[in-house]
Amino acid sequence: MTDFAIQFDKVCKAYDDLDVLTDLDFAVRKGEVVTIMGPSGSGKTTVLRVLMTLEEIQDGVILVQDEPLNKMYKNGDLVDADKAHVRKIRSKIGMVFQNFNLFPHMTALGNCIEAPMYTKGLSKQEASEEAMKLLAMVGLADKANQYPSQLSGGQQQRVAIARSLCMHPEILLFDEPTSALDPEMVGEVLKVIRDLADSGRYTILLVTHQMGFAKEVSDRVCFIDGGKIVEENIPSEIFENPKTERLQQFLSKVLEAR
Amino acid sequence: MDWRWDFTFEVVMPRMIEAAGVTAWATVASFCLALVGGLILMLLKQHRSVWISRPTTEFIEFIRATPLLVQIFFLFFLLPDFGITLPPLTTGILAIAIYNSALCAEVYRAGFEAVPRGQWEACVALNISTYRTFRDIIIPQSLPPIIPALGNYFVAIFKETPLLSFVAVAEIMQISKLIGAEYYRFTEAVTIAGIFFLVMSLIAAFMIRQVENFVKHRIVR
Ligand SMILES: Nc1ncnc2c1ncn2[C@@H]1O[C@H](COP(=O)(O)OP(=O)(O)OP(=O)(O)O)[C@@H](O)[C@H]1O
Ligand SMILES: [Mg+2]
Repeated sequence: MTDFAIQFDKVCKAYDDLDVLTDLDFAVRKGEVVTIMGPSGSGKTTVLRVLMTLEEIQDGVILVQDEPLNKMYKNGDLVDADKAHVRKIRSKIGMVFQNFNLFPHMTALGNCIEAPMYTKGLSKQEASEEAMKLLAMVGLADKANQYPSQLSGGQQQRVAIARSLCMHPEILLFDEPTSALDPEMVGEVLKVIRDLADSGRYTILLVTHQMGFAKEVSDRVCFIDGGKIVEENIPSEIFENPKTERLQQFLSKVLEAR
Repeated sequence: MDWRWDFTFEVVMPRMIEAAGVTAWATVASFCLALVGGLILMLLKQHRSVWISRPTTEFIEFIRATPLLVQIFFLFFLLPDFGITLPPLTTGILAIAIYNSALCAEVYRAGFEAVPRGQWEACVALNISTYRTFRDIIIPQSLPPIIPALGNYFVAIFKETPLLSFVAVAEIMQISKLIGAEYYRFTEAVTIAGIFFLVMSLIAAFMIRQVENFVKHRIVR
């Protein structure tokens, strides 16, 4: 056992002819909060989607808590893992999407109990009790019976966070969780994520353009460009003392834009 | 116009009411078969093996590209050659069902594709099984576009049933032709046939509206 939650070893991912990740080596320790930064199209979302088994990789190995993600060793060969294995590994990971992806035909509570009820075999009441606690934690206990269309963007994203927490993941993936929000709602969502990061109970992989927030919550920031990690370091070093030219350019562009 | 009420009520109506029963049965039976058949064709078409998806696609295209009347004749005259002898009504129901299965398959496909990809992805992320994903997430969301389209096919099937008169099924059109030929009087029989079709169409449209409302308020909310 290593103390790594996630390990990428020479991972390659291409969409048709477009190479997005090329020999990506990358590791996250248990309990670590890591921010991935990089220009548009650099492959940030792809890293998260590959981990969530939403995309297949062409080459390389991904380990989640030392176990292969969706490949398995059989007689020394790496082959496609069976469904049960994939489901087991996947249950350790939760993902929060840029566009929330809430189920529009279910209430906030319904969204939260759907998966636990059928994948964990909980009764509706058990699942609801737990979900209510998590909805209260994200400050939405009073919205439990509202449908997504009746909630603001910030509220929807907080429901989405509660929904993924209901499955007790150990690893949380956030893909630009505040990019689809009006500016005045960004704070409420970041607060929830900050609480999760501070709790120390989760390994967190965060893609965001909120530099201030990244600096504040992350243990480490990875700057990725062209499908490779160009520079990684503790946040203060990344932001105040960038070493590579590409990161310097990126930061100056981002700061200019503000 | 020479219209005879006694002839209408004593000869035409009793036989037309019986024929209306045949028409209704042919419509409902074909529709139900087409609902199931369409779903099966859609799933086969989406199958990951090309050996299954390709022939299914070709089959659907073939069915859609040939007239229903030709298919009815085809089944009616060819099945016996393969040792399958079915009553004309059964053959007719089968032909209409197959034809509309191919159309319903498209309706289902369009309905499922209208559900955003993010919904599937959320289900994967939450580890929801494929079966639950379909049952609880995808199907409820694809019903709003699917139900009205299927309703249209229900009415369309109803209006296709007169084609069965070509293979002598005793539905409304066939009976009105027979009455006309027997008594050399077409006015009453054909008029009553038209009125029957109109009334049954209105009833069907009303039922479809009820189903749509039910789905909107109970399932999709
Ligand atoms: N499904 C897909 N099919 C084809 N190309 C894709 C697909 N998804 C992403 N890409 C391409 O892969 C590259 C990396 O995409 P990715 O979404 O990972 O970038 P990103 O770093 O998240 O960018 P952004 O900051 O804009 O979200 C981009 O060039 C994108 O156009
Ligand atoms: Mg992205």
